[in-house]
Amino acid sequence: MDSIIEFITDYGVFALRVAAALLTVLTVVKCFYSMRIQKRGKKPLISLHNTITDETVPVYYWENSLGRSRGSDIYIADSTVSRDHAVLLRRNEGWFISDTGSKAGVFVNNKRCQGRTQIFLNDVITLGATQFEVKKGESSHQSVSEKDTAPHKKAMRPFVLLLLMLFSLLMFFTQAAFASDGFMPEAFVVYGAFSAVVISVFAFTRGFLKRASFELETLGLLFSGMGVSLLIRQNLRQAYVQLICVVLGVILFLVIIRLLEYPDKLLKMRMYAMGAAVVLLAINLVFGTVRSGAQNWIQIGSITVQPSELVKVIFIFVSAATLDVLQTNRNLTEFIVFSAICIGALFIMSDFGTALIFFATFLIISIIRSGDYKTVILALVAAFFGAMIILCFKPYIAQRFAAWGNVWQNYDDAAYQQARVLTYSASGGLFGVGVGNGFLKYIFASESDLVFGLLCEESGLIVAVTVALSLAALVFYTREITTLSRSSFYSISACCAAGLLIIQASLNVFGATDILPLTGVTLPFISLGGSSMISCWGLLAFIKAADERTYKKLSRKHIVQVAES
Amino acid sequence: MKRTRRRSYSVFIFALLFIIGMFVFIFRWFSDGRSWANMPYNGHYAATGIADGGTITDCYGELLAYSSDGERVYNGREDVRKATLHMVGDTSTNISTSIQSIYRSSISGYNILFGASSFGKLLSNTNMQLTIDSAACATAYNALSGRNGAVVVYNYKTGELLCSVSTPTYDPASPPEISSDDTSYDGVYLDKTLSGLYPPGSTFKIVTLCAALENIPDVEDMTFYCNGSTDIDGHKVTCMDSHGELTLKEAFSHSCNIAFAELSCKLGKETLEKYADSLGITTSYKVNGNPTAKGNFDLDKAIKAEVAWAGIGQYTDEVCPMNMAILSAGVARGGSTIIPHTVKNTSLIDLSAVMSSKSLIKPSTAAKIKDMMRSTVSDYYGDWSFPSLTVCAKTGTAETGNNDEAHGWITGFTLDDDCPLAFACVVENGGLGFYSAGNVVSQTLETIAENMRNGN
Ligand SMILES: [Zn+2]
Repeated sequence: MDSIIEFITDYGVFALRVAAALLTVLTVVKCFYSMRIQKRGKKPLISLHNTITDETVPVYYWENSLGRSRGSDIYIADSTVSRDHAVLLRRNEGWFISDTGSKAGVFVNNKRCQGRTQIFLNDVITLGATQFEVKKGESSHQSVSEKDTAPHKKAMRPFVLLLLMLFSLLMFFTQAAFASDGFMPEAFVVYGAFSAVVISVFAFTRGFLKRASFELETLGLLFSGMGVSLLIRQNLRQAYVQLICVVLGVILFLVIIRLLEYPDKLLKMRMYAMGAAVVLLAINLVFGTVRSGAQNWIQIGSITVQPSELVKVIFIFVSAATLDVLQTNRNLTEFIVFSAICIGALFIMSDFGTALIFFATFLIISIIRSGDYKTVILALVAAFFGAMIILCFKPYIAQRFAAWGNVWQNYDDAAYQQARVLTYSASGGLFGVGVGNGFLKYIFASESDLVFGLLCEESGLIVAVTVALSLAALVFYTREITTLSRSSFYSISACCAAGLLIIQASLNVFGATDILPLTGVTLPFISLGGSSMISCWGLLAFIKAADERTYKKLSRKHIVQVAES
Repeated sequence: MKRTRRRSYSVFIFALLFIIGMFVFIFRWFSDGRSWANMPYNGHYAATGIADGGTITDCYGELLAYSSDGERVYNGREDVRKATLHMVGDTSTNISTSIQSIYRSSISGYNILFGASSFGKLLSNTNMQLTIDSAACATAYNALSGRNGAVVVYNYKTGELLCSVSTPTYDPASPPEISSDDTSYDGVYLDKTLSGLYPPGSTFKIVTLCAALENIPDVEDMTFYCNGSTDIDGHKVTCMDSHGELTLKEAFSHSCNIAFAELSCKLGKETLEKYADSLGITTSYKVNGNPTAKGNFDLDKAIKAEVAWAGIGQYTDEVCPMNMAILSAGVARGGSTIIPHTVKNTSLIDLSAVMSSKSLIKPSTAAKIKDMMRSTVSDYYGDWSFPSLTVCAKTGTAETGNNDEAHGWITGFTLDDDCPLAFACVVENGGLGFYSAGNVVSQTLETIAENMRNGN
């Protein structure tokens, strides 16, 4: 009889794990599918009629560069036009044109314009010898077709995603409740609390903010919830702390999105943001405490924070700018100095993992902002020599990498953690041994640096790989929407934020599994760590902001009306 | 905006690298996961050990180890338990080459798709059948009668390892507390058939003979003269006996050191080293995934007299018993040998490691060596020592350098079609090879033959 009950519970618990894996995959796939199909099609917003050649040039983006250089959004084959002559921008108030340091200047209705100048339908814009007349996007049947396709398809989806996510998480928390060392009802309490958070966030964004999309929130909450469920059997108190940090993270997420609504005003804040970052790092250097070799913590009473995590958000914020600002001011010096300060401070703290994240993100930002390969190559060379010098002065750092690739020769000393990660990730199989049933949780840093192994062991390879690949998919998604964003400020910061997340995920996942040396960084959203959780949500806000649908929906009609008035 | 999108490939590259890395991980997970999970510290198995693992049986279905009520139970006979300790292993992972160590996760129900979860256990076959004949192992163990050593016997047609015994040993049913200053248990956790290295003594003459047959013209027509010792550049090389005038065949079967010292000097360092390598003396074979110990044959610094000693298996020569058995199997098979394996139901194990053959000797040379090994038994020792089998062999009595008795060696094979066995045996400080190791092997082979012929 006992064996029959055992048999049934074995199957029951196993069914939970399979369900958790399948629901996770389904939720993630639905999210990305939904983001894909809701993407705006390529329709011109307005058009420019070249009165000299009698050609009509469609204007597709919210920010468009005009110039003689081939990479311009609107290419003008006119030798009197500068390479990067002007930028045509759309804002809530209507359309603007901004001279970006051209030789011949920009004239609107024969008046030379200084700074951003609003333009209206039928205005005449003169750039060198070229004249454009501002026209509507296309004839009116376009807006009709938009009405046909859009609304009813969108209506249900966010709610479905919410249910899928809550149901997936229920599978993880139920596993935690029924783990092999006895029933633990608190798991359901944590689940209840987490669901309450999720539902409030949903109600707020959908009900109050009337936001059309909920995909990124779904992904972030799903992964955060998984991370919380992994903690229940390890340390219930930390599960609650993590939950609170998710709430703080979501609040930061909403605040940043709100702040980012008017990028033009925000740009003036860049200097203050950089200053704040430098101050944070300086405080860290002076008052920081050392934990597992890195001095990257500040203790305030019973709360510990990692300032470097918050600096990540600032780093992304200062990286971006609107297109007209980018074209007028190409100089990267200010940003390079700022990056050098950040990376240098992290080195002094011996937080090499985070330093590496900043460096790789710096490379991405430099390329996206300026396309300046010289800077990138110089940075790489400098980094190479810097690394050599550091290895000469602090040879013990090299020892950290000695175990890399030699896990099985050093499994009881230098590669202790990596060997455990591999062993337990293989012990998990495809569906895991069940949340709370793992053995990796007894290994130091299993819930942070080694969390990918914990995920593999307890939830199985399918869930772990799905989480990892969806972080990569986030990059593809941000790339997809770069030209659809309301400003290059959004598209640049989104790409850089997604880049930062994937670099951090690479160091975490591959460090733990001996594909790269172990550097000790967290896995976005999953790892235990309040500062890390909050900063991940902060970064996700940039990606969310890049989605055209995030901010108050302005109908095309409204834009046209503004333009006509 | 188009520029931003074009330049965003820099992020794209990082994402792409991430995905490639992910596939590397997944690939390794599928291909190496089983060995990752098999580590001794794995909590999923370390907690209960293999206490509820599957059964291990010998080739006749005799239970060697099984689980009952959460406890690991071993064979009912103490001599069988002790004889098969190094093959089967105990409940700990002290004997790292044993089946219960290397297939620990499989025996405990590991399954790559379901991992260590209890569900995987329901679906997995956790039982293993070995190729060994446990009764023959016990015979070998008893014949060693307390002396240390190693015995290997395997079927040179199928590669099935039939007997593998290493002593000292202990009873896995009640593992002893071994204090570090207790010398009677020296090397007890090593399987000496795989990891032991011994001076080969005269068994090495097989290698020297092979080199001579292929490198010295008309060597078979040469005659040698032995008066018990000879002088090489002022250094004395001695023989066990004063053999008088000998042909090559007589020199081999009587194991005359003087004749083989002469051959070694003629062959020279390079040729001898080349043959020691090509005949697998210095090779590390993989038996069941476990590497055999690489032998030692290094004449770089040897003077001429030392080359002579090396050619008769002394000097710094060392050989692993398993490699010696593999060499004999090569002679028996006409030049191409077969690497032994120990697991019968291959469904648990990957198939690639099961059958592997390797060419060692030219067939014509192998036939001549076989003939001479045969006459060693038939003309010199007499077939009466192997009542039901036709045996070809070479013995050795390897000086250990100190005042202890020499190690006794024998290696060879049977010519019987129904019992094709290759063997090697060392008895530490056993004295004359034929009387120590020869006796152990003779009893073991007879038990194996009887069981093979009766089907049990
Ligand atoms: Zn002699």
